[in-house]
Amino acid sequence: MPELRTEEFQINMGPHHPSTHGVCRLLLTMDGEKVVEAVPYVGYLHRAIEKICENRTYHMCIPILDRFEYVTSMSCNYVFSLAAEKLARIEVPERAEYLRVIMLELNRIASHLIFVGTTAMDLGALTPFLYGLRERELIMDLFEMTCGQRLTYNYIRIGGVSRDIPPQFVPKCREAVRIIGGKLADYEGILNENPIWLARMKGIGYADPQQAIAWGVSGPVLRASGVKYDLRRDDPYSIYDKFNFDVAVRWNGDNYDRFLVRIDEIRQSLKIISQALDGLPEGETRAKVKARFKPPAGEVYVRIENSRGEMGVYLVSDGSEKPVRVKTRGGSYNQLQFLPEIVRGRGYLIADLVAIFATFDVIMPEVDR
Amino acid sequence: MLLALMSLELVHIFRWAYGLLADTGLPALWVLLISYALLGAIMFGVLAVLALFLVWWERKIAGHIQQRFGPMRNGWHGWYQTIADAIKLLQKEDVTIDARDRFIFFWAPVVCFVAAFLAYICIPFGNGLIVADLNIGILYIMAVTTFTIIALLMAGWGSNNKYALLGGMRSAAQVVSYEVPMVASILTVIIYVGSLSMVDIVASQQSFFTWFIFRVPFGPIAFLTYITAATAEANRVPFDIPEAEQELVAGFNVEYSGMKFAMFFLAEFLNMFTVSAIAVTLFFGGWNGPWLPSWLWFLGKTLLVVLLLMLFRWTYPRLRVDQLMEFAWKFLVPVTFGNLILAALMKYLGWYW
Amino acid sequence: MGVLKDLKNLILGMGITGKHLGRHAVTIQYPEERWTMPEGSRGIVVLLSDKETGELNCTSCLLCMQACPTAAIRIDAPRGEDKKRRLISFDIDFGLCCFCGLCEEACNFCALKMAPKYEFSTLTKDELVWDMKKLQEMGRDVDYVDTRKKKKPKESVPGPAAPKADTVASPPANAESAKPEEPKPETPEQEEGNG
Repeated sequence: MPELRTEEFQINMGPHHPSTHGVCRLLLTMDGEKVVEAVPYVGYLHRAIEKICENRTYHMCIPILDRFEYVTSMSCNYVFSLAAEKLARIEVPERAEYLRVIMLELNRIASHLIFVGTTAMDLGALTPFLYGLRERELIMDLFEMTCGQRLTYNYIRIGGVSRDIPPQFVPKCREAVRIIGGKLADYEGILNENPIWLARMKGIGYADPQQAIAWGVSGPVLRASGVKYDLRRDDPYSIYDKFNFDVAVRWNGDNYDRFLVRIDEIRQSLKIISQALDGLPEGETRAKVKARFKPPAGEVYVRIENSRGEMGVYLVSDGSEKPVRVKTRGGSYNQLQFLPEIVRGRGYLIADLVAIFATFDVIMPEVDR
Repeated sequence: MLLALMSLELVHIFRWAYGLLADTGLPALWVLLISYALLGAIMFGVLAVLALFLVWWERKIAGHIQQRFGPMRNGWHGWYQTIADAIKLLQKEDVTIDARDRFIFFWAPVVCFVAAFLAYICIPFGNGLIVADLNIGILYIMAVTTFTIIALLMAGWGSNNKYALLGGMRSAAQVVSYEVPMVASILTVIIYVGSLSMVDIVASQQSFFTWFIFRVPFGPIAFLTYITAATAEANRVPFDIPEAEQELVAGFNVEYSGMKFAMFFLAEFLNMFTVSAIAVTLFFGGWNGPWLPSWLWFLGKTLLVVLLLMLFRWTYPRLRVDQLMEFAWKFLVPVTFGNLILAALMKYLGWYW
Repeated sequence: MGVLKDLKNLILGMGITGKHLGRHAVTIQYPEERWTMPEGSRGIVVLLSDKETGELNCTSCLLCMQACPTAAIRIDAPRGEDKKRRLISFDIDFGLCCFCGLCEEACNFCALKMAPKYEFSTLTKDELVWDMKKLQEMGRDVDYVDTRKKKKPKESVPGPAAPKADTVASPPANAESAKPEEPKPETPEQEEGNG
């Protein structure tokens, strides 16, 4: 019997896609049902944020950089403020540092809750998304009472934070921490031990740690492959060295571990927030910074541990009130580059590709800026 | 009040209406034809209302599981939301595509809907409330629900779209694979009833403890395998790969719009009700139950099984296509056949009640 | 056995979703019920008026225009012969506004505030540009804490005292006395402290 001639064909998993991680186009080369190669095409969400920042003063850059990665907007505010403070050698008051840490960790939890929800949704379990959003509402209410907004905060400023927390923040925050800690058991009950979930996630999408390091991947994706690298521990910024928390790490490097690492991280963040609330000192919430802020000429690169990996800002200043160059570095970019390496030649189906893409937790605004 | 409720047996109304018709003095053939035509019309009405109700119920259950409300605006708690949606779908433009085969493309939704509908002439809705008490009742239902496969293949082929074709083929493969464990689970019950007629099946579960689900050990296993196979038959999560949105292949009904799409949609919900009705008849005692009229018992039990199917949908992620087929052939088929052999052995040896 | 463990986990999962069936929904039926926005919510920007005189507090210092990152605030306030600015028009384009709140922080005269209002959808983009009148009207029912420095009464003026910014029942109609307050000379470096 003569052999059937087969050939590979290309399918476009286009920018409009229900697996919403933003607008990302993947060009898949398929051999039948199996994916041979997946090439990402980016740029659909490019808004020239870095160029815009070159024409704005430092204080104005902060709301613009809010939109750099709007799921963890506090981190974007923070990394830029850190860069400017390092350039100008500003000392941030201690209360402001504690408030910053609380906000950053709350934002990390919110981001991971969205991750849990969207990953489950991509795999067909439609309910954990709404449960995740329900918990995230608690966090967003906390943010709303503090800084007035629910998504793009403009809260962490150069020199500190913009407003002090209202008196009902601390009890509400403790309440939120308690509720979220309790609800994690719900997610684990529906998802973690579910045989269907395990069949879809375990053993799929193995990420080799050496390769991951070579591609510059950081964050939960790296920690799920066994590399215990967390900037809060290895290159501490702010006052993270005062807190007692574990770095969540898993060793199998597959989808399931990437999922579990983030659930562990939620737990650790809850721990940090409790400790920060306990130790919150009195004091000022912002150092005196001029409205026309002019840092001395120079350049600085600062990096923080975002929920997606290493987020950094490379700031070049020439002494004027507008920065010369604001280069932002986001973890999602490297993870999107890493995706074809994982998928190439392993014989995954499109359903597996969707699952892998979901567990990478790539946010397109961070990739495209 | 209770007495009035107990006497609400619908079969008396039907008998009285038939008596009226017979008294008109028409020849017997005419009376038969007219009575069956009327029954068909009533069934159609009932099923249409049922499909609309099920869609509404699904959305409300989904909402409450997710701690939100579901439809609330159209009527009290959104009861006529589905009617509004149906009117909207009627107004939609029927996009005429460059179909591969216009005849097949046109008739696919009709076949689907008819296939879903045909099964209901054999389902006992209550005491004496069965359109036709065929003595091959359950066999007939199994045969007729297989028509859906033809409709899926027609839909996949008729749309001039390789993704629809792929979706249709996958769907057909899934339904065919899960027919085997479904029929084997049903056979397990039939061994004990001794007859294929639906009325006999219900009659053999008169008391609460004779329900087949309580006949350990083969009863619960048969129910579990049946409900799994039934979920796959109805293309519901965790087996809804053919109609999953998150996948590339959008399913066999991607090229249908407006009322044709509504036909597929409603047929899916009717299918869900059919498999639940069969589950209730086989395992939960059909319409048997004290005090309340039989059709109320039937409706309540079936809606509970439908609730179970809906809980499946809103809790579990979906299986990948190859995992789905593997599950059917490598796990369900051996288990159901093992169960069947066990049940047959137990009947032969007399170890049952 | 693996199968029984799987079955148990499946039923556990269903139990969790099932128990939510009995819980009350966490959503509210908008627009019949509305969420009370917390104090300090950043909604639309409004122009505040003096609590007694009802005139705009704005002194045309243009600090908000300089602070806005998206150039949503457009102010036309040319200097007159007496070197003082007169406010002719004050537009905010809410299509450009990013609701960051920098304008509110920049203002020293309690002229701008971000009110916790959010329902202002329009059908065209042009309707999103609000002029001074609309901004003032939307700001009439917004409560604010007046933190402006009180003007000392001028000693040399005889007769009825020149109306101070915070006296009660000062005649508003008089064009002379209703002149907006003298803007302070813009210091090149204004402190931005713990506002």
